Amino acid sequence: MNKQIILKNQKIFTKNNLTEKVREWDPNRSKVAAGIKKGIMPNIKEDDKVLYLGAAEGYTISYISDILTKGKVYGIDISPYSMQKLLILAEKTENIIPILGDCNKPFEYNEIIKKKFDYIIQDIAQKNQAEILIKNSDIFLKEKGLALLSLKLSAISQKNHKKTIDDQINILRNKFRIINQKRLDPFEKNHMLILLEKK
Amino acid sequence: MKQEILQITKNKVKEKLEKSDQKIINLSLIVEKLQLKINELTELLKIISDQEYPSIDQILGIKDYCKFYLLEDKSQISTLNFKEEEEIKKILDYNIGITIEKDVKEITNKLCKNILELIDTKEKIDLKIDTLIKENYINLYNIATPKIACKMIEIAGSFERLSRYPASTIQLLGSEKSFFKALKFNKKTPKYGILYNHPLIINLTNKKKAKIARSLASKIALGLKADVEKKDISKDLINKIKTKISEINE
Repeated sequence: MNKQIILKNQKIFTKNNLTEKVREWDPNRSKVAAGIKKGIMPNIKEDDKVLYLGAAEGYTISYISDILTKGKVYGIDISPYSMQKLLILAEKTENIIPILGDCNKPFEYNEIIKKKFDYIIQDIAQKNQAEILIKNSDIFLKEKGLALLSLKLSAISQKNHKKTIDDQINILRNKFRIINQKRLDPFEKNHMLILLEKK
Repeated sequence: MKQEILQITKNKVKEKLEKSDQKIINLSLIVEKLQLKINELTELLKIISDQEYPSIDQILGIKDYCKFYLLEDKSQISTLNFKEEEEIKKILDYNIGITIEKDVKEITNKLCKNILELIDTKEKIDLKIDTLIKENYINLYNIATPKIACKMIEIAGSFERLSRYPASTIQLLGSEKSFFKALKFNKKTPKYGILYNHPLIINLTNKKKAKIARSLASKIALGLKADVEKKDISKDLINKIKTKISEINE
């Protein structure tokens, strides 16, 4: 487990090395924290380069920048309104880099980044969530790199959740090996967190 | 390296937010909420004022009613130049309403002034939306009228997306719910969405409405494509629609 993550009294904290601040990580707001509560350890190393798809206003990304003492995290989002708030966060910290772009078209921001990553985290409400992860991992992820996907079931279909899970996992199995998967039930409704490794 | 990417995203964010269609969407959201607030406040005002001057609120609109209420000496009503002057005078002569104490009257007067101020800001925003659409999208302004044009941009999300829509999508804009319901249960599909309120359509009979809505939507789609190049072809298109209406009416 990472040194920066602290578990105490059934609560999750992260510690910043520079400012030595300890902050609580709320599992009701962040899906990665909810995954830790449910028993999925994200396995992020200190010097990883992380790509975060769907960064929004940067609640989760601020904790990940605490964990990465030597690495960097690239946050991508489509909305200019939430990007303004992410830009303010990026000015304060050293290792957050925000990019305005559409995750469905990774070749557009590939011109700006031009790098390979060790880790991809995805949190997007779209119908083709699995395909978006595969598109991005083809371009950006190293071999045997990890990916953490939070699958929003109600964004895909309202009807049969068991069938949609099977369909999505079948798509993912072409490119990934599945390490761990769990429902996030008390914290988020109809969500599933999957930890994957690239073949 | 980090500073370069930060500069690129800053420029992109500013570029996206400074487009005029985003301004139109934001302003129209404010106008909708303001109208709701005005209606809510006038209902509160009428709780007291209706006992003082009963059934006048059914004759006058909100703005005129507030002006009438703020007038101290009701015998000088001719200074306000209302059309309904004589009807109001009759009701005042019946002398049914109760008299209200001074301190309560002060409160209602303040409420009245607040409502008038809100109406004033709403009218200013409406003017601003009008000029923004007229400057940037002249074909849309002339063919679809500013209120419907504003609503269309709001539903599509941006002008760029709206300009790529086909005519059939523009015809059904605003009736998505009933359209997908009809597809699901194999029933009749709707023929028009927000185009229903267009001044050329609203006075026709039901069958003719559907026909004109289709041709109007196709002309709007043509005009949108000309708006991207900033050319004005609205006169031709409006003439074509008017000839079509006269053909159908024969």
